[in-house]
Amino acid sequence: MAHNFRTDLAIDWCPGCGDFGILTAITQALSEMNYGPNDAVVISGIGCSGKTPHYINLAGAHTLHGRSIPYATGVKLANPKLKVLVTGGDGDLLSIGAGHFVAEGRRNTGLTIILFDNEVYGLTKGQAAPTMPLGMQTKSLTRPNIYNKVNPVALAIAAGYSFVARGFSFDTKQLKEIIKRALMNDGSSLIDVLQPCPTYNNINTMEFYRKKVYKLEDEKGWDPVITEATKDPMEKYRIAGERALEWDEKIPTGVFIENRVIPSFTKRLNENIPNYLTNPPSEQQVSDKDGYTIVDPVETFSDKTV
Amino acid sequence: MSKLDVNIIIGGPQGGGIDTSAALLSRAFAFSGFEVLSTREFHSNIKGRHSYVHLRAMDGKIYGLRYPPNILVALDPDTIFEHFEDVASGTKIIYDSAFQSSELSQARMIMRDTAARIKTLLESNNLSKNIAGMLEYMKSRGGILIPIPFEQIVREAVDDGVPTRYFNTLGGAITLSIIGIDIDSTKDAIKHIFGNKEKVITPNLEVIDRAYSYAEENKMAGKAIEKNAKKNRMLLTGNDGAAIGKLMGGLRFQTYYPITPASDESTILEEHEAIRWINEENETLGKGGVAVVQTEDEISAIAMASGAALTGARSATATSGPGFSLMAEAISFAGMDEIPLVVTFYQRGGPSTGLPTRNGQADLLFALNTGHGEFPRIVLSSGDVPECIYDSVKALNYAQKYQLPVIHLIDKNLANTTEVVDTIDVKAVKIYNRENVSEKGTYFRYTLDTENGISPMGRFGKQIFWLTGDEHDELGHVTEDPVMRDRQMEKRFRKLETASNEIPIEDKATLIGDSSNDVTLVTWGSQKGPCIEASAELMKKGIRCKILYLKMFNPFPSEFVSKILGESKLNIMIESNMLGQAAQVIRMNTGIDIERRILKYNGRHVTVDEIVEAVENIVKNGIKKVVLTNGA
Repeated sequence: MAHNFRTDLAIDWCPGCGDFGILTAITQALSEMNYGPNDAVVISGIGCSGKTPHYINLAGAHTLHGRSIPYATGVKLANPKLKVLVTGGDGDLLSIGAGHFVAEGRRNTGLTIILFDNEVYGLTKGQAAPTMPLGMQTKSLTRPNIYNKVNPVALAIAAGYSFVARGFSFDTKQLKEIIKRALMNDGSSLIDVLQPCPTYNNINTMEFYRKKVYKLEDEKGWDPVITEATKDPMEKYRIAGERALEWDEKIPTGVFIENRVIPSFTKRLNENIPNYLTNPPSEQQVSDKDGYTIVDPVETFSDKTV
Repeated sequence: MSKLDVNIIIGGPQGGGIDTSAALLSRAFAFSGFEVLSTREFHSNIKGRHSYVHLRAMDGKIYGLRYPPNILVALDPDTIFEHFEDVASGTKIIYDSAFQSSELSQARMIMRDTAARIKTLLESNNLSKNIAGMLEYMKSRGGILIPIPFEQIVREAVDDGVPTRYFNTLGGAITLSIIGIDIDSTKDAIKHIFGNKEKVITPNLEVIDRAYSYAEENKMAGKAIEKNAKKNRMLLTGNDGAAIGKLMGGLRFQTYYPITPASDESTILEEHEAIRWINEENETLGKGGVAVVQTEDEISAIAMASGAALTGARSATATSGPGFSLMAEAISFAGMDEIPLVVTFYQRGGPSTGLPTRNGQADLLFALNTGHGEFPRIVLSSGDVPECIYDSVKALNYAQKYQLPVIHLIDKNLANTTEVVDTIDVKAVKIYNRENVSEKGTYFRYTLDTENGISPMGRFGKQIFWLTGDEHDELGHVTEDPVMRDRQMEKRFRKLETASNEIPIEDKATLIGDSSNDVTLVTWGSQKGPCIEASAELMKKGIRCKILYLKMFNPFPSEFVSKILGESKLNIMIESNMLGQAAQVIRMNTGIDIERRILKYNGRHVTVDEIVEAVENIVKNGIKKVVLTNGA
């Protein structure tokens, strides 16, 4: 029987919240990938997005504000066989967790990071988040935002993520397909998901996005994939970068870059550690049948013998 | 075998080969069959500032370093200036005769405050403000000057345009010949240091030959000391010991962010990622290695180690004060979510950046209280290199068994102490393996149905369960229900009671020496050895001491400590901080206030002799507090 990826907990997001669409897209993607109950895990930080793991019937950790990426990286590196999803808000991943967001691009561990991007801190009553543009004033702000915004797609490309995409929470079909493709990526993927916060963001509403979004994949010849055979990968990055910066008139969704050449961090570790991928840290036995260590300290540290 | 007991301070510029000189000495002594104990003092600097090694070699177990040293070896003029207080009657000062004309004003790498003190000293003694003046001063204290023409000796030995590159070998070799260590041990030592680099070894061997012949010709060579070669011993630092113990204890995932003096442990693990197994059968069993990951910061280091622990891998991180401060929130999460996690906490001089490369024991209260809210944790401390090994195994066991953060304290002095370890007993500590969780039915990760507070822990990849920093129900979902809250809080703390009952007293505190002795020296960390030797020295002076050596601060052995302190005539606390933090922990747990304290917070290691002097002062003169000040 196919695994049911939803728990029976009552969901306490606000009515009309974009989070529902994201949750639906995630669980549908997991079902369509035919994952079993112990094939994947979900890690989150703090905020409304942080509650997501509790609503998914997979092992999950609702960790510290901004730290979902390092917790998830630890899980993935100790057991590279697991698919590891990260659900995080814009404040969680791009403000308090920005350092980890950038470092993960350099690592390319193999995480599927889903960024809940609604431009506000919902759970703490609507403060400006790092994706809110300069000068914008949503209804709970006491004055217009005096920060400029960070562009998650452009930042992810610059940081080195091997798969960078954008979805829209009210287009669960497209989002589901993007998530499935990201789950097949060996390295780390960033999916920026545009979503309304019906309670605190009265500007970036569902209607606002519906009017502006368009799909990259609808364009003839759109091909963001880089393989060993790609003649001019820099050209692909140039185009991806240009599209990443588009915003005011039209907002592109879909896959910006999918670079299959960058080795994942787990592959890099495998170069140094014997049998790392086949017998990872989580699978190793550490003692013999009598419960004693199997490590020979003198042989392992023979360089210290005198 | 003729008796050997020598204390040496060898100094030179940081990055100038001082480590090679120290390695040459320690290996040559080890190859001759002696015990060696040394520690390293250095600045937070890559090249140029004063660095030195305080080393003792002896035919017999060494507990601590003696002060002042018998020999001071100066590989640069700064060493002579810096160690002006370290010369006593009979101290031999081995130095390059070319230093004679060096001026204090030119010694720009000496810290200005130190230079000012040296200047005042020389002026008040009407001595010239240069090496000649300082040597004159040292002579007046009873020092014996041994000038050596470094450049001439090297030129006679090798044809190399840069003779200075052999000065470290020469300094070591001259010292060893003066002591009477045979040339073969010295040569073996240099071969051991340089491995298979023939091109480096050959000229260094020629320098050693010439150093020994020079000493012979100039009647400096010491009476030959008989060798007593032993096999398969290891020369290990505290950092090495922790790395070895962690691997033995089953560590397979370690994270770190670079910081002194903790990151050495991680780079040592990195160098030994490919583990060697005890036998073939095990090779198939364990086949793999330890993954060592350098992270973007310490928050990431502890978060990654925590994440890895959820999969069943034994994981740990290592850090020092500033990094540990960043880990506070994740320690609280590990406590709340019952994550088996070891943090090896290398204490250095604080607060803030403090004395980043110097010793300190000022993080005990912090380790006991890190993180918001109330949650159980285990805090233990090691006092010598073998303890670093076995305590690391135990720390991993405690984490697995009681599912909580375990903080393992090692002070900087111990981290940088090098010691000869005769054997490592692979059967000294059994590995604790968690029981597998039943595959049937819904899995309740935080089940309340547990008398000892321990709920069987599943693994990501094997079971579905949840974690949250929020208070949670038995499944791991968020709850704010007042009754569930109380029950989960009480369940978590029952684990600490269980740990307190199960961990044997010898892993918490030990009494060293005759229990009927009047004076109790209470200490922890790297003062353990010096206190043991100080107690023997004090016995000769008619002061009968025993030592209460503390190893575990949470759960604290209150009953044991109360009994010993209560029965003792005089209790003296010895620790490397200003506030007497262990004394505060004792008072908090037992109500006993140890008023008499010997404290050191200048960042330098504690020597046997300064403890002896301080205890005498307290016992004979009734002084309450003594602050120790040895060390350049």
